[in-house]
Amino acid sequence: MAPIRVLLRYGLLLCFFACRTSHATADYQLEAVFLFNFTQFVEWPSSAFARDDSPLSICVLGEDPFGNYLDDIVRGENAGHHPLIVERHRNADTIGHCHILFFSQSEAESFRRVLQGIKSNNVLTVGGFQGFANNGGIIRFHIVDNKLRLRVNLNAAHDARLTISSKLLRQAELIGYGED
Amino acid sequence: MKSILQHQTFHDPWHCIFMRLCCVFLIVSSSRAVALEASLNDLKKMSIEDLLQVEVVSVSRTPEKLSNTASSVQVITQEDIRRSGVTSLPEALRLASNLQVAQKNAHDWGVSARGFNTELANKLLVMIDGRTVYTPLFSGVFWNAQDYLLADIDHIEVISGPGGTLWGANAVNGVINIITRHSRDTRDVYAEAGGGSGMRSFAGARVGGALNSNASFRVYAKYSDHDNSVLGNGNDANDAWRMKQGGFRVDVTHPFDRLTFQGDIYENSSDSDPGKASIKGSNVLTRWSHAFSEGSELNLQAYYDRTHLDRPLPAYVINNLTLAPAGVFADVMDTYDVDLQHRFRFMRRHQLVWGLGYRHTHDSATNIPALAFYPALFTHHLYSGFIQDAVSLSDRVTITAGTKLEHNTYTGWEWEPSVRAQWDVNTRNMLWSAISRAVRSPSRIDRDYSQPAAGLVVIKGSDTFVSEKVLAYEAGYRTQMNDRLVASTAIFYNNYQHLRSTSITPTTILPLYFENNLKGYTYGIELNGTFQIAEWWQMRAGYTFLSEHLSVEPGKFDLSQAHNETADPQHQVMLRSMLELPGRVQLDAGLRWVDELIVNNGPNLATVPDYTELDIRIGWRITESLELSLTGQNLLHNHHPEFGFPTPTRVDAERNVTGKLVWRL
Repeated sequence: MAPIRVLLRYGLLLCFFACRTSHATADYQLEAVFLFNFTQFVEWPSSAFARDDSPLSICVLGEDPFGNYLDDIVRGENAGHHPLIVERHRNADTIGHCHILFFSQSEAESFRRVLQGIKSNNVLTVGGFQGFANNGGIIRFHIVDNKLRLRVNLNAAHDARLTISSKLLRQAELIGYGED
Repeated sequence: MKSILQHQTFHDPWHCIFMRLCCVFLIVSSSRAVALEASLNDLKKMSIEDLLQVEVVSVSRTPEKLSNTASSVQVITQEDIRRSGVTSLPEALRLASNLQVAQKNAHDWGVSARGFNTELANKLLVMIDGRTVYTPLFSGVFWNAQDYLLADIDHIEVISGPGGTLWGANAVNGVINIITRHSRDTRDVYAEAGGGSGMRSFAGARVGGALNSNASFRVYAKYSDHDNSVLGNGNDANDAWRMKQGGFRVDVTHPFDRLTFQGDIYENSSDSDPGKASIKGSNVLTRWSHAFSEGSELNLQAYYDRTHLDRPLPAYVINNLTLAPAGVFADVMDTYDVDLQHRFRFMRRHQLVWGLGYRHTHDSATNIPALAFYPALFTHHLYSGFIQDAVSLSDRVTITAGTKLEHNTYTGWEWEPSVRAQWDVNTRNMLWSAISRAVRSPSRIDRDYSQPAAGLVVIKGSDTFVSEKVLAYEAGYRTQMNDRLVASTAIFYNNYQHLRSTSITPTTILPLYFENNLKGYTYGIELNGTFQIAEWWQMRAGYTFLSEHLSVEPGKFDLSQAHNETADPQHQVMLRSMLELPGRVQLDAGLRWVDELIVNNGPNLATVPDYTELDIRIGWRITESLELSLTGQNLLHNHHPEFGFPTPTRVDAERNVTGKLVWRL
């Protein structure tokens, strides 16, 4: 049993080191914060809500990278009079009512098809894939030199009849179609 | 803490592992919590400008997508499993067209890739959540003892071709990796029940939930009761079986750490003419992974597995001469396994992964006059290390090279190197090629077997049995022609050495010995395509061609003239249709044609005729939480053989129909 002991002890040592690693933020944490921020800096047409106080749905499509982190961030928060809620969807059949639709990495094969299906439905589409904004996605997360970057497709936002605050746009790289 | 670790003597190895895992768990969970709470509020208060300056580490991006690996790989998804209506893991494996699957009787299956699917098929590595499940007794899998609540399987990766460099011994012709869902994705209540003509009745349930904001769990239980199959002449095969299984999984997720703790316990019993056979088992596994930075991750995994076998055997009779009386052979196999793996980027162009592993297997056989393993008590140690480097020569070309080095108790050092090249022609087309060496190190049957145990021994393992080896040359092409059509193909040429033979000694005829007197080559093609005809209709097609050429080494001997290690179809065709109908109805159908098998587990060469079979499932989602389905398997014939020598006792697979109700809350 000696090798097991050695390996496990090594594992424990590694943990002691690992538990003291840098204070950097995981990508999904920052992305979750941005999803929350989008509810504050994007304006949906009133027709996107059944009532003045109906909830604003942040939907995660596919394998959820956030754990409970996203739920913790939006808990008790509102966008105007709309309480924020988080929903998780395994497939694209049930996303009709979403206000923000985040595509997880598991949707790499299907995101183009889904994007085409929901064009101009008042949905703020967000994803991290190469070519996401080029294919009609509205906001692409993009990591360059360990910093998160935003790329916004203005035409797509316009088609979806969403108004994005200049405070957000000022920090983003803006494109139309075909430039991603 | 330190003194306990140093001074406590662990007589019980399981206790030892458990203690240490608890330590890891405590350390990981306590130190993170505080930092996390603070950062959540801090981040929320920051301006967009400041947020964009935060240093991020990419942990949610998978390091390597399976569809992008330089090997012949197919993935069976949860959706595929559900919509095919299959009720067991080996049936689910029929969905991968790069495998050969044959049902031997109600409770035994032969599963293989690229051939060698015999009674003692032994060239496949099968894992459930990283736990190896082939038995060291003969390097094959007791498929009726490998089960899970199928609704909680995330996906199954099926790799045809050698995987020895990463996975080690036994990954000679393929690797099957069964991966269960993260407990974060099963935080609800699920129940299923049903019955039919093949499975008389079955039921299963799972309850999952959150323990706190970053920990989740599930517990599950299931049972099933399977009817007898029939013999070729239509009589009852007396092979009905029953199984029950339960288990749990707990996952803790922190930004940089993931910890999983899971376990299962099961028991099954099967009818057979000499009496009831049973397999009981249990396992616990824990895995901890830590992300240091972008592309750098450490995984530490440990598991324990116990498999307890009770198998009644009839008297050993040859030519009306009783060589040994009937009895119940029993075997208890305990496996302890620890694996460490570290993946990191190096000098921009390199992605390095290295690992260390140790497996301790303790086997305790209760020998009977008809069958024995000598020594009855046996401990096997497997030490392993591997290193592999993927070098990006350009944006489009990657060369991956590495080797595994193993030391096993039977044959000592073995090495399993491979070189792979991948060329991403563009984002939609990929070409790959590989040369790899893999080994199947001896199992107990090759070395320690004796049948019968004493007296006039007919067949024995031999102390000089060495590892079987393959040198495999492969190439493949994968394309996503457009959003609707995905296709892949692979060709291979495998050169085998030291394959198992049944030999005689120069001076005596009996006993026969297992030796390594066979060599040979196989080659073949695998084709696979998925076509999304419309949003509501998907078609899939798969085809495999396999040509096997084994021979006896010049001057050596094999009792069955190199025909005993193969029993495989030369051609195999699979078609699937998945239809989404109005009114929340799904209609799925699978058609397969399997070419004739040439078999030799009898006095001379014989065949299993080629066959065509059809499975259909219709599922109706009555409400969001309720689903009713009806599945028919093997619909084209009353019964047909898939495996085995054509004796009057060859067992056939029967047509069967199963109804199932699923409830989710």
